Amino acid sequence: MSDSELGYGSSFTVDSVKVIAESVGIGNLVDDAAKELADDVSYRLKIIVQDAMKFMQHSKRQKLSITDIDHALKVQNIEPQYGFIQPDSLPFRFASGGGRELHFIEEKDIDLSEILSAPPPKIPLDVSLRAHWLSVDGVQPTVPENPPPLSKEAQKLESVDPITKLSKPANKDAAGKPVCGKAARLKASESVHVKQLATHELSVEQQLYYKEITEACVGSDEGRRAEALQSLACDPGLHEMLPRMCTFISEGVKVNVVQNNLALLIYLMRMVKAMLDNQSLYLEKYLHELIPSVSTCIVARQLCMRPEVDNHWALRDFAARLMAQICKTFNTSTNNLQTRVTRLFSKALQCPSQTNNESGPSMVPSMKESEKTPLASLYGAVQGLAELGPEVVKVFILSRVRWLGERVEGALSGIGGADRLAAGNLKHQLLKVLAPVVRAHRQPPDLPDDYKREYGYLGPSLQQMVSKLRSSPTGGNAGGAVAVVTCTPPLLPSPSPAPGPSLAPAPAPAPSPSPASVTIQHTSQAHAKTIESVASRNVVITSSAPQSPAPSTPPPQKFVIVSSQQKNQTQPASSAGHIVMHSSQPTIVRSQNAPVSVVAKPVFARSGSAQQPPPELDDLSHLA
Amino acid sequence: MGDKSTPLLAVLQLLRKYNLKGTEDILRKEANLGDVEYENLDLPEVELANILTAHHTESDPYSYEFAYDSLKKFVENSLDVYKYELSTLLYPVFVHMYLILILYDHNEHAIKILEKFGPEQDEYYQDDLKRLCAVKNKDQVKGNELAEIYSSNKFQVQLSRDASTQLKRYLHEQKSSPIIINIIKNHIQIDVCDGPGRSHAQVKSTLGGLLGEASRNENRTKVYYGLLKEPDLQILPAQIEDEEEAEETPDKPKKKKAKKDNIFMKKPKSDPNAPPNDRIPLPDLKENDKVEKGKALREAAKRVQLGPECLPSICFYTLLNSGHTAICADICDDSTLLAVGFNNSTIKVWTLTTVRLRGMKSADKLQDIDREAGDVLVRMMEEKDRETCRTLFGHSGPVYKVSFDPFKTMLLSCSEDSTIRLWSLQCWTCIVVYRGHVWPVWDTRWSPHGHYFASGGHDRIARLWATDHHQPLRIFAGHLSDIDCIQFHPNSNYIATGSSDRTVRLWDCLTGTQVRIMTGHRSTPFTLAFSACGRWLASGGGAGEIQIWDLSSGLPSAAIPPASNSPIHALAFSRDGTILASGSLDSTIKLWDFAIISDENINEENGNAAPTQKEDKFLLRSYATKNSPIKSLHFTRRNLLLAVGSYDGSV
Repeated sequence: MSDSELGYGSSFTVDSVKVIAESVGIGNLVDDAAKELADDVSYRLKIIVQDAMKFMQHSKRQKLSITDIDHALKVQNIEPQYGFIQPDSLPFRFASGGGRELHFIEEKDIDLSEILSAPPPKIPLDVSLRAHWLSVDGVQPTVPENPPPLSKEAQKLESVDPITKLSKPANKDAAGKPVCGKAARLKASESVHVKQLATHELSVEQQLYYKEITEACVGSDEGRRAEALQSLACDPGLHEMLPRMCTFISEGVKVNVVQNNLALLIYLMRMVKAMLDNQSLYLEKYLHELIPSVSTCIVARQLCMRPEVDNHWALRDFAARLMAQICKTFNTSTNNLQTRVTRLFSKALQCPSQTNNESGPSMVPSMKESEKTPLASLYGAVQGLAELGPEVVKVFILSRVRWLGERVEGALSGIGGADRLAAGNLKHQLLKVLAPVVRAHRQPPDLPDDYKREYGYLGPSLQQMVSKLRSSPTGGNAGGAVAVVTCTPPLLPSPSPAPGPSLAPAPAPAPSPSPASVTIQHTSQAHAKTIESVASRNVVITSSAPQSPAPSTPPPQKFVIVSSQQKNQTQPASSAGHIVMHSSQPTIVRSQNAPVSVVAKPVFARSGSAQQPPPELDDLSHLA
Repeated sequence: MGDKSTPLLAVLQLLRKYNLKGTEDILRKEANLGDVEYENLDLPEVELANILTAHHTESDPYSYEFAYDSLKKFVENSLDVYKYELSTLLYPVFVHMYLILILYDHNEHAIKILEKFGPEQDEYYQDDLKRLCAVKNKDQVKGNELAEIYSSNKFQVQLSRDASTQLKRYLHEQKSSPIIINIIKNHIQIDVCDGPGRSHAQVKSTLGGLLGEASRNENRTKVYYGLLKEPDLQILPAQIEDEEEAEETPDKPKKKKAKKDNIFMKKPKSDPNAPPNDRIPLPDLKENDKVEKGKALREAAKRVQLGPECLPSICFYTLLNSGHTAICADICDDSTLLAVGFNNSTIKVWTLTTVRLRGMKSADKLQDIDREAGDVLVRMMEEKDRETCRTLFGHSGPVYKVSFDPFKTMLLSCSEDSTIRLWSLQCWTCIVVYRGHVWPVWDTRWSPHGHYFASGGHDRIARLWATDHHQPLRIFAGHLSDIDCIQFHPNSNYIATGSSDRTVRLWDCLTGTQVRIMTGHRSTPFTLAFSACGRWLASGGGAGEIQIWDLSSGLPSAAIPPASNSPIHALAFSRDGTILASGSLDSTIKLWDFAIISDENINEENGNAAPTQKEDKFLLRSYATKNSPIKSLHFTRRNLLLAVGSYDGSV
């Protein structure tokens, strides 16, 4: 026991005694006296602390507190030390100088008048009692009051290193989720164990729960939906249902984006939000389904029936915020999540001249297509990038502002109400996003001409915004996205296989919400090669970079890497692909960049009827 | 050095003791000792012996290390049969070597020997060693709790006859260096018993006490661990039941009656181990108490039979916003009230049912009540009170234990302010303050039959009280360190105490003597629980281990090793005695299969009982809570487990 060895005979050093003596005004303490003092003080302190331990133990605590010391002093007939408070942590400061090193606790002078004038501190909450079932007939129910059956760390470990799950013995009891009923009886009679085939087998209750939740989430009853979302956001123990939930969402988005059912898309995004908010879930394993769905809702060409009336902008904003949240939570150096997402959005903003330089001549045919990237998608891409932080805005939007300006200008001057509206929105959004960045970026003399020269069409308006920002006192924070996320410019395609937009999951076999029919992504990888863009632009984003074998960390079976080695591969880097979609019908093979219309089967009976009421206003208020 | 005179003074005292006047005078003259020192000649007996016997080795501190090494080699080289028994000698010899070296000012040597041999001592002694090593010079030996315990008591070691012969032979060889001989002679009590040497596991199971093992002779007394017969209830509840039956199920009374009879007949007519009913005078049951008892029996009839197949449901009461302020909790026998003692000297009582906590009416209103009325107890309560929680003020220090009396009319609490208070749950005030303890009182418990209660605390003395006496009825002294927990035997004839000296003792309430001393705990026991049948005692330790003791023999019958290092502060047996629940500060509740534990021991009784140490065999289930360390566990009469914990948000 190494710590016990440390324990024997530790005591104050002569030096510290001298320092303490100095602090109370005794300057010339001789060494012998200091030694004597050190020994005696150490002994007395140890005795006091040993006694105080008893008080700590009887108070059923594992942390010594000042009251314990006071009580120990009282037992020994010593006056307690008054006036000490116990902060949660005592930060020791370190100082050195003149060859001496010192650790001390910084105590600041407190201004009494300040305390007196301050409003009285809040009264602490009164102790209250709350009852819940920790176990019902030996089984721990998964209610929020109980710890989740599988902790978030365990879920994370499982997703990072699935081998641990195999090596762990199937521990019966310690997990708190016990074998019950039949299994327990089997165990008791020492009979043969039958290994379960599926790792995730939902109990009847869980299936019911899944059904209820999904129905409530996409149903028309707002009250029930709120309850369902609350449950998704708070309940522990949902991890077993996660694969189904994620498939439900991704399938739902696929279908409804084709049908332009804005309401359902909003509901699905709110489900994603709720799941992200759930503290007991670790979603990394399912990002390959969530990210394409979310990005679709950001950049899809059309999300609603009547683009000129419906507020699909709110959905794009909301989804962009979700994407930023996902990036913040799950970005690691191995999955390069943020890099990939950033690249996805930036591609949509790529102006033709740039794409021309980057890619070979084979690009030319698609150039015109990409020039026509719909304004709504541009809006989404801008919003998506903006949520990722000012640095991203600076690198990816500011550099293309001239081209974006041309698009806006063209649309505004053109005919067609929807386009004009979209252009107006895009312009407004661009100005809002760019102004704070430009303000931080440029020195004060804001001359309209300079702006015009540098930023093209948007220059003058931008100049107005910036100077307005500069004049207003709170302008510093006007940008909304105040530098939280910074990102390395993802100029190089990253070869690492991670759940990003360039990765596709194996398709779910049947587009049906029935839990039994959905399997997880370990299925065949062959189908994964087809990626379809559903929106009519039909350009596919895949990673064109040659795929190197996966670095060791992420388990290879988790994600399917789309490494299309076909010769006729489209040029993804150049194509302004703005939508990543996975067809639920993998048999449809993309044909040479030609428009393909994919008819996805309706997933929901309800959505198939297309009678979904348009999103009510309160829906959108949730999004905001 | 003035210290040189100490041995001379010792010799003088010895001469005086034997009344050798002439020699004494000559020595005094020759040594030229002052009168003052001579007059103050009053060395304690033990120290005197210490000084005299160790005097000539005093000059040679180096020999200690050598001597310990030699003893260690002797133990290691002896046959396996004796080895484990003999190895128990090493620790006390080592401790006393350290103390002697300190006493004779060889401080550096003492520290050296501590650093050399300290780490190789058994793990459960390390805490003691750490406390002991604070003692660095001889002034500190006096007044140090642990050093005084060691020097004024003898360490108990049990050896078989053969092993002790081996030891004697060895000591004989070592005549030239008498250090070890002196230590063994002065500080170690060797308990020689016939029979073969014990195995490693056997030796280990009883080791761990501050002063070694319990000697066998101390546990010879017969303990009446059986349950009392309950004669009065055989008639009374039946009649109550009849009334109830008439109301509730008039159609099939016969069936129920048969069932009920079973319950009342279940208690063996004459348990050979049960004490006579009048061994301890028990208070007569009041009318109200009888009703309460009847209710209890009826509830018990609806009890769920628990077992590994049928685990109890657990209802967990979380104290929110309590942080570290809540210390202890207790739930009354019929599971309707919860009391919690706080750091800030208050006690709070919650009702766990819809019945509100009503106080008594004011005095002038009480005058109007007809005292002959049958429901006078109900009438005297204030109807307007709707409180679900009441706070009791009175203590002036942290409340370390609260305890409901069996009839739910009173509450006991003990506190750091060294008092025990009795509270009325009818007028919600303090009725009596029991003073007697000098230092903080750690634990207090009611007798299962009411009227009596026991307490124990920092002053190392357990006391037995009756509610109508302000002085304790019995004082149980013998523990060497704080009494940390106390528990009444279900038949009210015995009291069990657990102490920081890592022993659990059983005291007879009638005679006031110690009838069992049980060693084997490796850390301080913090909670005790008697099994429903009265034969077994479970204790939960500060390091998270649980020990099961057999009261008939005083031997440990099972040791459940700790699952984590957090202390166990709550233990409860299910009402049918098949399941033991433990709650620990690491926020888990564990259920243990007690039926296996007790069965095994009964089976093993004929053969050599080696305590089983397999944890998973006994563990049924473990339930984690959300950062809520468990303060208390309680089985309701229907075998539902109630647990109380306070949510600790800071972790």
